[in-house]
Amino acid sequence: MNTEGPPLETLTRRLAECPPEFLTLPRVGETGAVHVDAVVSDLLRDLGGEGLSAAAAGPFRSRNRKADRARLSLALLACWLLHDEWFVARPRFAEAALRLLSQGLTELAATTATANFVSDADRREELARLCLRELGLRPAGENIAQAQDRLATLNAAERQRVIKASQQAEQRAQQIRAAMQAKAEAEANAKAMRE
Amino acid sequence: MTIRGPDGYAARFPLLSAAGQARLRWLEEHAQAPRFNHLGVDRLNAAGVARVAAFERDLLAGPRGWAAGGLPPWVAAFAAFCCREVPAYRDPNPPERFSDLPTSDRADLSRAPWAFVPDAQPLDGLIVFQTSGTTGHPLNILTHPEALSHYWPLLRAALAAYGVPLNAAGAASPPASVVVVCFQATTYTYAALAAYLNQAGLAKVNLHPNDWRDPADRSAFLEACRPEIITGDPVSLAELARLPVSLRPLALVSTSMALLPGLRQELEARFGCPVVDVYSLNEAGPVAVTAPGGGGHWLLQSRLYVEVLDEDGAPCPPGARGEVTLTGGFNPFLPLLRYRTGDWASLDASDPRQLRLVGLEGRAPVIFLAADGRPVNNIDVTAALKPLALAQYRLHQSRNGQLQFGVAAPDYDEAAIRAALLGVFGPHAALVIEPFDPATSGKLTQYSRDSD
Repeated sequence: MNTEGPPLETLTRRLAECPPEFLTLPRVGETGAVHVDAVVSDLLRDLGGEGLSAAAAGPFRSRNRKADRARLSLALLACWLLHDEWFVARPRFAEAALRLLSQGLTELAATTATANFVSDADRREELARLCLRELGLRPAGENIAQAQDRLATLNAAERQRVIKASQQAEQRAQQIRAAMQAKAEAEANAKAMRE
Repeated sequence: MTIRGPDGYAARFPLLSAAGQARLRWLEEHAQAPRFNHLGVDRLNAAGVARVAAFERDLLAGPRGWAAGGLPPWVAAFAAFCCREVPAYRDPNPPERFSDLPTSDRADLSRAPWAFVPDAQPLDGLIVFQTSGTTGHPLNILTHPEALSHYWPLLRAALAAYGVPLNAAGAASPPASVVVVCFQATTYTYAALAAYLNQAGLAKVNLHPNDWRDPADRSAFLEACRPEIITGDPVSLAELARLPVSLRPLALVSTSMALLPGLRQELEARFGCPVVDVYSLNEAGPVAVTAPGGGGHWLLQSRLYVEVLDEDGAPCPPGARGEVTLTGGFNPFLPLLRYRTGDWASLDASDPRQLRLVGLEGRAPVIFLAADGRPVNNIDVTAALKPLALAQYRLHQSRNGQLQFGVAAPDYDEAAIRAALLGVFGPHAALVIEPFDPATSGKLTQYSRDSD
């Protein structure tokens, strides 16, 4: 965050105006339309780096929809964000962008749907600030402390929401597990056939 | 444990009638009855009966299929419900296309069965079935007495394909309209009533001699029950055929394992009735019934969408084999969304009102090696063994190529098995044939091969 980056508003506006192509399903196995590895490769070149090597492309190729679809979907959105002219005009962010796209979005993708980073103002701001931080930048007009505080606040609010949802889910799971234990041992429910 | 007596009849059977109680008492107190080890229950109430009846009407009226490449009209709303309300499928922004939804499988269900229960589903009456399974993932199936009662209309639909009725109980009904036979070292046994069939009697018995005071009681009790329908897996039905029993049921229903044509013919001749092969899963109930005259399995349920998928979860082209994958079902504690069964078949959608599964086989195909090194699909092995009346068998190939064929004792023709297998694998294939005791083997993996 040592370096001042673009104004935050340009990035959040860019997210709000994300074209539908960047919100379509990433290619996972034989389904989904967008090959995220190709998009990342193009972005890295536009940011002054080289395209993805075979090894570096690994995190952007998957056959497991359940495990990787959300992460790849968010990576695709982040590609759109990082293709802002401010970054392209300063071709020195390729390495940090690759680190962010391959490793820095997993936690966020696990808790928040990609579409929310477009439709929800707080989530737009959170993703924009997170991307800036990972590139060693802070929003224009803010000092380091302000930038850190604001990102932490956004993170904390989202984390609270996630924790609350997770607690409710665990409470429900415990209720069901307790009901499973309550079955009378000496009884067998009538059933027409074996399976 | 021997369990008898009228205590708690009304709690076990809320709609108990005098005739039903008489049938239950007869089953539990018959002098030659087995040592039932559990109390049979059927907690269906009047509202439940009405709902199951509505399910049966829907079953009779609705198509059991859909246009090739299309979806049944209810699937989109059902998928949206699952993504919104079921933790295992939760996705706040599900993909627009149904076929882009991720699949689920037995491992997911084994790990957290509670995650498949919708958020708003009341837990009253929840019951749990434990299954051993053949795939290394024991399951706890959460269900409900009312869901289990849905088996009756589905069994009736399967039998109707063969012109056989499943009768509600009347004054002249036998003590047990339906008998479920097993043949294994230990299993749940009980006597019960089926409220949906007007308190028809149901007995689940284990043909293993240890379950009876006198092994001769098996035949005597079954004859006294006069069952109209007998259900069981092929091993148990083969054991039933070996008993000196004189039964004339309307039909036998084979479930749980593949039924080979040879055994089917033997059973039909032995009992003088059709043998109806039903493909049924704990996760979904009865899914399909063998079409009379062959040609695959007819789908049974009108609100169960069946796909055939490749390993990546993409739909297979018409006629291509893939994993049978289910969406929908009638168990409110286990809505299925693209649930991979582990069973393989192709889907024939040429008649959108009655789809059929073709070449249904349990588990993924196993490719063996013949003596000359050419690949042999397990389907070829099944085809070669078809003429033989084998109740249960397994084939394993070791890394050195040796074939070990296990066959359920006691009756088998070793020379015929050897000829059939060497016909597939070549005359110089190394083959060992040995019997195993089906009563103690549990469910088995039919085809396997050491990994290279």
